[in-house]
Amino acid sequence: MTRHIHIVKVHHLTLSFPTRNDPNPKPVLDDVDFGIRDGEILGLIGNSGCGKTMTSLAIAGLLPENAEITSGSIKFAGKNLLEMSPRERRSMLGKDIGMIFQEPSTALDPLMVVGKQLEEVLTAHKENIQTKEERHKTITDMLELVGFTNAEEIMNRYPHQLSGGQRQRVLIAGAALLKPRLLICDEPTSSLDTVTTVSILQLLKELCHNLHITILFISHDLSVVRGFCDRVMVMRDGKIVDRDTASDILSNPRNAFTAELLTNARLDTRIMGFEPIKVDYTKDPVLTATDITAGYGRRLFERGKNKDEKADNKVLHDVSLKVYPNEIVGLIGGSGSGKTTLIRSLLGLLPHSGKVEIKSPRIGVIFQDPVSCLNPAHTIKWHMSEALEASGKANEIKGEGTYKERKAKALARITAVLEICGLGEEHLTRHPNELSGGQRQRVAIAMCLIQDPSLIIADEPFSSLDASSSAELLKLMTDINREQHTAFLIITHNIHIVRQIAPRVIVMSNGKICEEGTTSEVLTNPQSEATSKLLDAERQIHVILPVQN
Amino acid sequence: MQGKTGYFVGKLIELVVTLFLVSLLVFIAFSIIPGDTARVMLGPDATEAQVNLLRQQLGLDKPLVVRYFTWLFGILTFNPGTSYAYNMSVGELIAQRLPVTLGMSVFAMLMVIAISYPLAVLSARKPGRLGDQICSVIGHVLFAIPPYVASLLMILLASSMFRLITVGTYVKPSDDFLAYVVCLLLPSFAVALPKIAMSFKFLRSSIIEQRASDYVRTSKSHGLSDLKILIRHVLPNSNVSSITIISIILSDILGGSLIVEQVFNLPGLGRLLLAAISRRDFPLLSGIVFYLAFITVLLYFLSDIAAAITDPRIRLK
Repeated sequence: MTRHIHIVKVHHLTLSFPTRNDPNPKPVLDDVDFGIRDGEILGLIGNSGCGKTMTSLAIAGLLPENAEITSGSIKFAGKNLLEMSPRERRSMLGKDIGMIFQEPSTALDPLMVVGKQLEEVLTAHKENIQTKEERHKTITDMLELVGFTNAEEIMNRYPHQLSGGQRQRVLIAGAALLKPRLLICDEPTSSLDTVTTVSILQLLKELCHNLHITILFISHDLSVVRGFCDRVMVMRDGKIVDRDTASDILSNPRNAFTAELLTNARLDTRIMGFEPIKVDYTKDPVLTATDITAGYGRRLFERGKNKDEKADNKVLHDVSLKVYPNEIVGLIGGSGSGKTTLIRSLLGLLPHSGKVEIKSPRIGVIFQDPVSCLNPAHTIKWHMSEALEASGKANEIKGEGTYKERKAKALARITAVLEICGLGEEHLTRHPNELSGGQRQRVAIAMCLIQDPSLIIADEPFSSLDASSSAELLKLMTDINREQHTAFLIITHNIHIVRQIAPRVIVMSNGKICEEGTTSEVLTNPQSEATSKLLDAERQIHVILPVQN
Repeated sequence: MQGKTGYFVGKLIELVVTLFLVSLLVFIAFSIIPGDTARVMLGPDATEAQVNLLRQQLGLDKPLVVRYFTWLFGILTFNPGTSYAYNMSVGELIAQRLPVTLGMSVFAMLMVIAISYPLAVLSARKPGRLGDQICSVIGHVLFAIPPYVASLLMILLASSMFRLITVGTYVKPSDDFLAYVVCLLLPSFAVALPKIAMSFKFLRSSIIEQRASDYVRTSKSHGLSDLKILIRHVLPNSNVSSITIISIILSDILGGSLIVEQVFNLPGLGRLLLAAISRRDFPLLSGIVFYLAFITVLLYFLSDIAAAITDPRIRLK
C-alpha cells in the first residue's frame, strides 16, 4: 500500500438528521474539513454534543441509520469511503480502522469469555486465514502487549470478572489485534480513575510508536489531551473552530472559544476568590458516623472455603467521620477504596454495623450519572414536585387556601429553587432527555435543595460532565454552600477539585480512613501511602503530558 | 467452581423446600373446605351410622397430622389413594389423562417458540417499519382473543367448513402416534395463540434493547456482520430474560388449557379436575393439584438453572 501523508482526509463534510417534519435541520457537522497525518496522535476536543463523536462515527462508517451525509467526502488512504458498499466498509473495520469507546463496563458482551470475543475480530475477516493455534497465539501476544502478564487466564475470564481498566485494555487489544492503521479513541479514559488513565494513555502512546498506529483521540478533558496529542482540533457546534499543535493551542490560544475551554478546564478561575464559610467546629455535627463496618453479604447457601474468607467480604472497616454545619468536606480515594460503600451505608441503603447520626431530618444526595437518576417519562416539574412531596414540605406550603392557590405556591417554590440552580421556567416542562448532562446534574441538585437539606452528599458528581459543565456545577455548589448554608460531602477522585473547594479532606483506602485533616496539610505533606499514591498519579498525568502554565 | 456448585445445590434445596410448602398448602386448603365428604358421597338419606362407617373406611376420623403424612407418603410414591368418584387409583387416572395435557402443552410451547422467535427477530430488524407495525397489530389482536373463542373459530373452520379433521375424537399415543399429534394440533394452537403474541412482544423489545447496547457497537467496530452479531451476541443476551418469560408461559399453558379441553372434548387433566371438584373427590383433586404444582415448580427450577448456564454473572459471583 502506498503511504499517504494524510491517512484520513475529511473533505467539507456536512451531516444532519433529517426527519419527516424537518427535512432540512441544522447540521450536526457543518463543513468539517481536516486530515489525519500518518503516525500522529490527533486530539479532537470540544464540549459534549459538539459533534466529536459523530465525526469519528462518520469515519468508521458506524453512523446511526437516520443520519444523512449531505455533502463532502471522507478518504482513507486515498479511497473515498462514502462510495464504498456497506460490505466493503465493514471489512475495513477492525482491519484498517479500530475503535475504542468511552464506557468499558458495557462494551463487552457479558455472556462471552474475553478470549472468544477477541477471536471474533480475527474470524470476522476472511482474508485472515489463521489456524486455531495461530489465532490463540495472536491473541495472547496482543494481551501481553497491552500489559497483561497472565494472558491465558484473562482469555478465560468473563467481562464482569475484570476491573474497568482491565476491560479497557481488553478493548484496546481487540481494536489493535489486526494492527489497523487508524485507531479511533472516543473518550477512552473518561470513566477511569487517574491512576488507570495514566496507564491507558501510556499504553496508547506505545501502540502508536511500536505498531505505527495513527490515533484520533476524542476527549473533553484538556489535561489528558495536553502533551498526549501531537496536534489538537477544537470543535464547536459541528464546526472546527481552531487547530494547531498541542503545545501551541493549549498554551497560547488564539481562538476565543479555545481560550474559554481552557479557562473552564482550570476550574479554579471559575470559583476564584471562593472563601469557604468559617466552620464552627464546636457546633453539633450534621452527620456523625461511628465505627461503620459493612460489606456485601453472600447469598444463602453460597459459602467460602473457610471462615476467614467471610471476613474478607467486608468492604468497610470501622469507619468514623463527622461533617459539621456549613462545611465542605472532600472524600478521596482510588477506585475500590470503599467510598461508594460508605455513602450507601450512611444513607441506610446497605446493612451495616456501627452508628449513623443525622441531625437534620433531611440529607440530599446527588449521584455520578445524572442520566439514570431521572425518570425519562416525566418532566422536570414532576421531578421537583415529587421531591417537594417527599420532603413533607408540600403540606406546609399547601396548608391553607384553595387547591389553585396551594398549587401556585408549590410552583413558585419550585421555580425559585430552579432559579438558584440556574434553570429557568422554560425547563419546567422539559423531559430529562431534553437537557444536557450539566443541566440534569443541576436538576438533581435542585431536587435536593427543595427539601432544605442541611447536608448534600455528592458521589462523583463531576465525572460524567465535561469541563465547562463541571466548572459551572462547582460554582453552583459553592454558591449554595455560601448562601443556603448547606454542608457538602463531596466524593471524588479528582484531587484538583478537592484542593479548590474543600477545606477539609478525608482519604480512604482499603475500606479504612487512612488520613484526615485540612486539605492544604494533607495534600502537601501526605502521611499515608494511599495519599502519596493519589498525588503521584495526579502528577504523572502532567509528566507524560507536560503542563505549560 | 465452589460458587458454581454452591449455586446449583442452593437452588436444589430451594426446590425441595418449595415442594414441601406446596404439599402443605394443598393439603390444608382441601382439609378446611367446609362440608363432610362422607355425607356428600352417601347423599342426604344416609343414616349417621353409615356416614361414620364410611368416614372410618376413608380414614377421615384420624387426626389431621396423621392424614397429612399418609397423604404425603402416597403422593411421593405415586399412589395418592383411590378416587371416590371413579373408584380407581388416582395415579392411574392421572397417568391416563396426562398425555393429553402434557402433549398439548409441549405442542403449544413449540408453536410459541417456532413462531414468535423468527417474527420477533424480523420485526426488531427495522422497528417502526411497515412489517413491524403489521406484526405488532396482529399481535395485539391475538392477545385479545380468548382461547375458547379461538377454539370455536378453529372448529368452525377446520371441521365444519373444510372437513379436515373430526373434532372431539381423541386417539391415544400408544394406538396411533400420528393421529394423536393431529388431534392435539388445533387445541394446542388455540392455547398457543395469545402466548405467541405475548412472547413475540417481549422478545421483540428485548432484541431491540440488546441491539442498541454498547457491546453490539464494539462488535460492529470489530467488523462482524449483522447476522453474526445477532446470533452470537444479541440472541443469547435477550435469552437471559426470555427464559423466565418462557417458563411463565409454559406453566400458564399447563394450568390454563381447561376450557380448551372442554371445547374440544379432550380427556385431559383439566376436565378430570373439573369432575373432581364437582364431586368433592379429595384424593383425586389433591393429587392433580399437587402434580400440576410440582411440574410448575420444577419448571421454575429448570429455568433458573438454564438462566445460570446462559449467564455467567449468575453462575460465578
